[in-house]
Amino acid sequence: MAHLAHYKEAHPLPFVITHWINAICMFCLIISGLFIHYPAIPSIMGLCRGLHMVCAFVILINLFARVIMAFFIKSAQYGGTREGLDRDIKNYLPSKGNKHQFLPWIKYYLFLKKDHPKGTKYGSPQKLSYAGIPFLLLFMGFTGFALWGPTCDWGIFVWFTNLVGGIMNVRIIHFFMMWVFIIFTGLHMYLALIEGPAQVAIMFKHKEHGGMIMDPETKEIIGEDLDPSDPDAKRYFN
Amino acid sequence: MVMPEVREAGLASYLASKGVSRRTFLKFCGGVAAAIGLSSTMGPKVAEALEIGSATGKLIPVVWIEAGSCSGCTESLAQAVEPDVATLVLDYLSLNYSETLSAAAGHSLEKAKEETIEAGGYILIYEGAVMTGWDGNALMVADEKGTDALIHAASNALAVISAGSCAVDGGWCAAHPNPAGAMGVQKFLKQNGIATPVINLPSCPVNPEHIVEVVMNFVLTGQLPKLNSNNEPELSFGQLIHENCPRRGHFENGEFVYEFGSDEERKGYCLYAMGCKGPQTYSNCPVVRWNGKASWCVEAGAPCIGCASCNPRSSRNNWVNNNAPFLQRFHDMHVGSTNFQPTTLAIAVTGIAGVAIAAHGFGMKFAGRTKGGAPIETESDWSKKQPKAAEAPEVVEDVQEGGDE
Repeated sequence: MAHLAHYKEAHPLPFVITHWINAICMFCLIISGLFIHYPAIPSIMGLCRGLHMVCAFVILINLFARVIMAFFIKSAQYGGTREGLDRDIKNYLPSKGNKHQFLPWIKYYLFLKKDHPKGTKYGSPQKLSYAGIPFLLLFMGFTGFALWGPTCDWGIFVWFTNLVGGIMNVRIIHFFMMWVFIIFTGLHMYLALIEGPAQVAIMFKHKEHGGMIMDPETKEIIGEDLDPSDPDAKRYFN
Repeated sequence: MVMPEVREAGLASYLASKGVSRRTFLKFCGGVAAAIGLSSTMGPKVAEALEIGSATGKLIPVVWIEAGSCSGCTESLAQAVEPDVATLVLDYLSLNYSETLSAAAGHSLEKAKEETIEAGGYILIYEGAVMTGWDGNALMVADEKGTDALIHAASNALAVISAGSCAVDGGWCAAHPNPAGAMGVQKFLKQNGIATPVINLPSCPVNPEHIVEVVMNFVLTGQLPKLNSNNEPELSFGQLIHENCPRRGHFENGEFVYEFGSDEERKGYCLYAMGCKGPQTYSNCPVVRWNGKASWCVEAGAPCIGCASCNPRSSRNNWVNNNAPFLQRFHDMHVGSTNFQPTTLAIAVTGIAGVAIAAHGFGMKFAGRTKGGAPIETESDWSKKQPKAAEAPEVVEDVQEGGDE
């Protein structure tokens, strides 16, 4: 068993909920956006326009809530442990546990390195991409509001529209950004799945999964927790 | 067009001679008043200003210069078959020089132009793109470079009206690949340090109602109309065509034309799926309409091609480059001489990413990482390379000695 145990401390419930909201909104935004771009099914055009705006507001409010919560809610910084909790925002910042691990991660993904790199709960490339997503979402929202009737004549959106050379170019940027999210989501799902289905279970069902236990102090594997849901099972940290 | 014998007869009799009744003239004046933001009850005041101006010769003269143009804007104004009131008023009252419309030609006309410019206090209407290619030799008029003529005429003008999209941002002339270096008047004047205010009146051709509106605003208030960030009159170019479109109801109902000649087209459904640029083009076309308020593109059954898009800062992003091909929802992108739609590029890149992910998945299987994954390293590559305290005692000693001193 090469995987670490997956505990709720890694993904506290509020973050599971915001992740669900993100996933649903993103799906609805992509589908409705495609139908707004070209009304292939004419009768759902109005529905798509409404849904697109509702999901846009929900995903942006969700983004702000998620970022604010990251400063207050503590989560595990390392996989395979219930200990060593710290403010969640630190998961997205460089940390000592990942020192000089960016290149090894890339090498691992390119099959140039045999062993799975060790480090914090999120690997270095993962930290980088998760830290970038809020900015991509904000930019996506920004280009969206530069296109939306009620807001497109606001000074800052007019400035941006003029900067990129007209509404058509804002639309194309908004469209390309959608594909960036599609590619990100595909990559995200793939990379999460190759780390094992337990990742998906904890993120979506908030279901814990047994595995190896890591001591967050020494970063050493110190045991195995086969069934975290069994209260009678011998547990290392209890 | 200068026609002294008509001028002496007065505006009212001139219009009467063209078959324009007093009632039609007052209606037009009411429309002008409304267009420049006054109450339409101000119509008689507008009429009065025009009549007094014509009697005393105090109306602002207009010089109309053509550059890289197809003369379509002049045609639009002249409306050869049946001139409308706007054309007649503008023509009779103040058009001192126009290459196409003036009866005179050659040296005498150039002299009249020169005199008007010397006297100052005129409005310059510029039609067509500024042709900067080959050091301005792309366009020569009367032994003078078009660019020099513009600098000369614009420096002394009260204001420059860029009439039509070519004058605004290069229009057709500046379409990719633009060998003649066509650009808009505003950008050209800025580059040459000329501070004369520029009013942009996009659309291809220019709508004469928009010109009359600006000129009358100047005549009545002595000021330019309120302009937006693109230097367009806010009242005319402040709303999207989509907002006033007569087919908007079909858009809201989800009723679209997908093919010309179809049943949907016959029913007059929304042209959004046919690449209509109404939802992204600011102009009051549905309100002022064209050809003497007869009709306009969407009403006539054609999707808007966005000819009133306005990008005075960048001819690369003018309406032709930004909106062609006209029946597509996006413009084409270019790499060299290859044109493609953004959708093609996006699907290609995403497809490559998908194939890469699938290939990686096979790699994972081949590398034996699928069953439980690769073992987690006990030590990172970096820390393996670091000298260990036990293996490198000298280094530690050095540090300690340094500390003692």
